[in-house]
Amino acid sequence: MKRKPLYAALALLTAALFILSLQTGILHLHSSVFSLLGKGNSVDATTVWDVRFPRALGALVIGAALGIAGALAQGIFRNPLAEPTLIGLTSGATFGTILGIATGVAGYGSAWNCVAATIGTGAAATITQFLAPNKNFGFLLTGIAFSSILTSVSGMIISISGKPGIQSLSFWNFGSLSLINFSTVLVITPFIAVGTALAFALSRGLNVWSLGENSAFYLGVNIRRFRFLAIIAIALLIGPAVSAVGSIAFLGLLVPHLVRLLVGPDHRHLLGLSALLGALVLLISDLLARAAFQPHELPLGLLTSLLGAPILIILLRARRAQWVSE
Amino acid sequence: MIKVNEISVRRGDVLVLQNFSALVPEVGATLLSGPNGSGKTTLIHAIAGSLPLESGSVEISDRNISTVSAGDLAQLRSVAPQRRIFTLSFSVAEILSFVPTSQRNEHWQATIESLGLNELMQKKVTELSVGQQQRVSVALALIQDSHFYLLDEPLSAQDSEFQLRILSAIKIIATKKGVLVVSHNTDSLHSQFDQELRLN
Repeated sequence: MKRKPLYAALALLTAALFILSLQTGILHLHSSVFSLLGKGNSVDATTVWDVRFPRALGALVIGAALGIAGALAQGIFRNPLAEPTLIGLTSGATFGTILGIATGVAGYGSAWNCVAATIGTGAAATITQFLAPNKNFGFLLTGIAFSSILTSVSGMIISISGKPGIQSLSFWNFGSLSLINFSTVLVITPFIAVGTALAFALSRGLNVWSLGENSAFYLGVNIRRFRFLAIIAIALLIGPAVSAVGSIAFLGLLVPHLVRLLVGPDHRHLLGLSALLGALVLLISDLLARAAFQPHELPLGLLTSLLGAPILIILLRARRAQWVSE
Repeated sequence: MIKVNEISVRRGDVLVLQNFSALVPEVGATLLSGPNGSGKTTLIHAIAGSLPLESGSVEISDRNISTVSAGDLAQLRSVAPQRRIFTLSFSVAEILSFVPTSQRNEHWQATIESLGLNELMQKKVTELSVGQQQRVSVALALIQDSHFYLLDEPLSAQDSEFQLRILSAIKIIATKKGVLVVSHNTDSLHSQFDQELRLN
């Protein structure tokens, strides 16, 4: 498939979904979103601009971050199933966030909370890599096990901590955009922007990296520095996203694989298109979460799991198609 | 010149090379031979910088490789490892583009031609046969512009026609550069090389 039409199609769809997200909700608008531009006082305008707009913006930024992070994680760990939730990166972010809140060092939605989550993600990535006996299933299973440990400890901290804003374990495990507001979006976006820029800077190197660490080294890549920068980028993308909305499973698996299926494995395009598709998928998921069973709201991560987990099963059964295992 | 000075290299618990020294000349094709387990691949790794030395040093063009950055090292030596695993479905053209035109030597087009890759350019590398993948891997090393070329068993999966074609590509490069080729199938190849370095 040609890349340019795909960029355009995804961008258009994302824009359409964004507007639909503003339009849709429990409160039925009396007029279209466009007629509310610049009007700040009515109930309709407040609902759209103070509640739905930051939420849709959050979905856009976080979806893009998770899409890029998924592509980056699969690339750097050279494992098609290295999904950030699966291999414990998300649990690392959650752990960092919760620890920050429980100790009173970094409140929910603060910049320090993003820092704590970023460190948690980077540490989890490093430890999983260090503990894993090999790069294939050994790595995945180590990630899953380590992830369980972190989730358990996080759950214990939540249970005994009385701090306000620590949220419930279900919020962190299943994710929700319901708490997001303008200030949260403003806090997380710079982190994610730096992570994105770093990821794009690594994109050509990721292509070479796919030949294996030694081959990348033979072609002039400084292995340690490259891996370090990639983990920093992943941490900057995942940490802040998770600190704001909890764990949104499988998006990082689903999105890059779909993109690879459509335009091939070149990371220079994979990252950008995964950002767009990630934003689109999260906007759709959040819309479904809000609108499917009104007035009840579904946890977001349940929907992305429902979409993504079957893809994992399909990939496990047919992984030779796009990605040959080492 | 590649100077291998009294190196000892361990793989796992086994000391594969012990106080080993050798010289590889600046120009010409050198056959690196020896029985299985004699340390041919280990020596290639040691010269390439991809295995740590327990003692001793390796100098390429008078530079100690342990002090050279990864980027500069790529200009000193180019490596085709014994096995390269292609995990992503890049086309052959995309794989070869990992070496940008500015970093290729003057023979790159002739090399791609004689390795029979022009016909495979648009094919996905993951869908090629083992022999075809090996030719892509060898080409990736041979098109690079560097002082030395280290090729670990570049002929092992080839039929006799492509063995000769790869050897002729190597010989052209070896008129100006140093090429070190590992092979254990030495009887038929011996006459094709300028000199032999034998491990026991």
